[in-house]
Amino acid sequence: MIEVKNLVKSYAGRTVVNIQQLSIKTGETIGLVGNNGAGKTTFFRMLLDLIRPDGGVILSKDMDVSKSASWKDYTASYLDEGFLIDYLTPEEYFVFIGSLHGLSAAHVADYLKQYEEFFNGEILNRGKYIRDFSKGNQNKVGIAAALMQKPELLILDEPFANLDPTTQIRLKSLLKNLSQTQKLTTFISSHDLNHVTDVCNRIVLLEKGSIIKDFYTDENSLKELEAYFSE
Amino acid sequence: MLSTFLSHQWKAFWRSRNKAGSIAAQIVLGFFMLYFLVVAIGVGFWMTSIIDKIMPGISPTIVFNGLILYYFLLDLAIRIQMQDLPTLSIVPYLHLNISRRTIVNFLNLRSLFSFFNVLPLFIFLPFIFINISAAGGVVDVVVYLLSILGLIVFNNFLVLYIKRRAINNVLIFAIGIMVVLGLAASDYYGLISIRAFSNLVFQNVVRYPFLALIFPLAAFAIFYINAKFLTANLYTEELSSKDDKKVSTDYPFLNSFGRVGELAALELKLILRHKRSRSSVIMGFLFLCYGFFFYRLPLIENNEFGKMLFAAVFMTGINISVYGQFMFAWQSAHFDGLLVNKIDHRDFIKAKFLLFTIGSTLITALSAFYGFMSYKLLLLHLATYIYNIGVSTIVVLYFANFNYKRLDITKSASFNWQGVGASQWLLSLPLLLIPLIIYIPFGVLNQPYWGLAALSLLGLLGLLLRNYFIKIIVNKFEKQRYKIAEGFRE
Repeated sequence: MIEVKNLVKSYAGRTVVNIQQLSIKTGETIGLVGNNGAGKTTFFRMLLDLIRPDGGVILSKDMDVSKSASWKDYTASYLDEGFLIDYLTPEEYFVFIGSLHGLSAAHVADYLKQYEEFFNGEILNRGKYIRDFSKGNQNKVGIAAALMQKPELLILDEPFANLDPTTQIRLKSLLKNLSQTQKLTTFISSHDLNHVTDVCNRIVLLEKGSIIKDFYTDENSLKELEAYFSE
Repeated sequence: MLSTFLSHQWKAFWRSRNKAGSIAAQIVLGFFMLYFLVVAIGVGFWMTSIIDKIMPGISPTIVFNGLILYYFLLDLAIRIQMQDLPTLSIVPYLHLNISRRTIVNFLNLRSLFSFFNVLPLFIFLPFIFINISAAGGVVDVVVYLLSILGLIVFNNFLVLYIKRRAINNVLIFAIGIMVVLGLAASDYYGLISIRAFSNLVFQNVVRYPFLALIFPLAAFAIFYINAKFLTANLYTEELSSKDDKKVSTDYPFLNSFGRVGELAALELKLILRHKRSRSSVIMGFLFLCYGFFFYRLPLIENNEFGKMLFAAVFMTGINISVYGQFMFAWQSAHFDGLLVNKIDHRDFIKAKFLLFTIGSTLITALSAFYGFMSYKLLLLHLATYIYNIGVSTIVVLYFANFNYKRLDITKSASFNWQGVGASQWLLSLPLLLIPLIIYIPFGVLNQPYWGLAALSLLGLLGLLLRNYFIKIIVNKFEKQRYKIAEGFRE
C-alpha cells in the first residue's frame, strides 16, 4: 500500500525525517510513536503531500504522492484543526466533505446517524460554528469527517488527545472494527502507549527522524515501549 | 505592577510573530502618523493666520472656541471606528494573584497610549500658549488646558465604554457617523449651531473659570463608569462578541455551478462570517461614492475618459483588488485541509473567478446610478467592468501564488496590517496602470470611444482565453503550493 524510500527532510541543517525504507501492507494498523520532535507530524505531512521532501519518495499504491493526486480518492486524514473549515457549522462541513466524494446531503445525514454515539450529542444541531467548539469536539468533527470518506488509508495525528475517556474508548473500538471489516490501512501517531499498543498491530518507533524500532505488537509490546521511553 | 504590564505589552509588540513581515507596513503607518502630527503642529502654530484667511474679520478666539467642540465631535466619530479595545491582552493575568482593580487600571491606562490622544494636544496647545496666554494670562491658559485635557480623556473613555457595550460595531459606527453628520448638517443649514454653542460654552468658561472643572469631572465620571463596568464584567467571554445561534445555510444559485459553485459558496460563507472580510465588503460599497470626486461635468462633456478611468476601474473592480490582494491567505487557517481533500485545483481557481465575476457584476450594476449624470459613464463602467472580469481577475489570481503570509481574518480590518506585505502594494499597480496604458494613445488621438472599445476588447480577450490562463495559474499553483502552505502554517 505504502512504500517509503530514502525519505529525507531537514530544516535549517537539522534532519527532521530520515527514513531509509518503510513498507506498509494493506490492512495494517500502524502506530507511530516517538517523543516531541521525532518527526511524526512532518512525516504525515509528507505522506499527504503538504511538505515537499528534500529527497526520496513516498509511493501510495505505486504512485508518487507528490506527482499524482490519485491518492486523494482513497485517503482520508485529520492532523490538526488546520484541516477543518472552522467558520462552517459541523453539518455544513460534513456536507461539503461528503460532496467531494459524491455524497448528497441526505446521504451525509444518514451516515452521521451511526456516529450519534461517538458524538455524544455534542456536535450536531448545536447552532455553533466549528471554531466555537472545544478542541476535543473539533477533533471529533475532524475524525468523523475523515471516516465518512470511506477511505482505504486513514491518517490520524494524535487522535486520542483532547478526547474525553468515553470517546477515547469508542474511537478505539471503532478503529479496531474498521480494520477488521473493511481492510482499512491506518496510520496513527500517539503519545499514549496504552492506546497505541491496544489498537495497532504494528508499531514504528521514531527517534530524531529515523526508525529505530519496527515490530508487530504482542503482549510484551507495551512493556518494551515503556522500557524505551523511561530510559 | 502597572509598569510590568506595560513592559509586557511593549515586548508583545516587538516580538509579535508577524513582525518581520510587517515591519515595512509599520513604517508606512508610522509615516502616516508623522504626517498627521506635522499637519497638526502646523495647524496649531499657524492657526491664527489660517483662521484669518478662512474667516477674515472675526476674532480668532471666537473661531477657536467654536472649533473645540466641533473637533471633539468629529474625533468621537473617528475613534468609534478606529480605536481598538485592549481586552485580549489581559487573559494571561486573570488567573494570577493580581487584583481586578490593578488589571482594570492597566486596561484604562493602556488605552491612553493612543494616537488619538496625542493629536489634539498638537492642534490646540500652540494656540492656547500663544494667543490665549497673550490675551488672558495664566488663569485662562489653565482653564483651557483643563478643558482640552478633560475632553480628550472624556472621548477616550466614552468610546471604550460604548464599544464594550456594543455588539455590532458596524451599526454603532453608522449611528455615530449619522449623529455627527446630522449635527454638522444642522449646523451648516443653521438649524442649530455647534460652533455658536461651543463658542458660548468657552466664553462662559473664561468668564467663570470654575466652570472649566466640568470637563475633568465629566472625564472622571465616564472613567469611573467604565472602570466599574469593567470590574463587574471582567470575563473575556463577555467582553468579546455575543454568542447567538448559528444556522447552516445553502446558496441554491451557486449550486447550479456544480463543484465550482460549492467552492464559491464556501468562500462566500467565509466572507460573510468574518469581521475582516465583511468590512472589506462594506468598504467596497462605500467606495461607490468615489465617482463623485472624479466625475466632473466638463470632463464628461469633453469625453476625457482618461481622467476618470482610474475611478471607474477602481469602483467596478473594487472586490477584485480589495479581496484579491490577500488571496489565498483568506483561507490560510484551513489551507492544509483544502490541499489534502479531493479538490481539483482547477475547480479551486475557477471558484475564485466565479466569485470575482459575480461580485464585479453586482457592484457594476449598483454603480449604474452614475448614469443619471451621463449615459457616457455607463459606457465607461461597462468597459472597465469587462476589463476587470477579463484581465484583473487573471492578474490577481496569478500573483496570489506568491503570497505566503498567513492572515488572521477574525480581527477587524481598520489599522490591521497583519498579512500585508510588499506583494500587496505591487499588485494594485499593474491593475490600475494597464487600462491607462491602453487608453492613452486613443485619448491623445482624440478617439475616446475607440479607447473604451480597446479596453473592452482586451477584457473580452481575457474572457475568451480564460481557460488557457486558468491552466497557467493552476500550474503555478501546483508548484507553489508547498511554499504557500508552509507560510500559512506559521
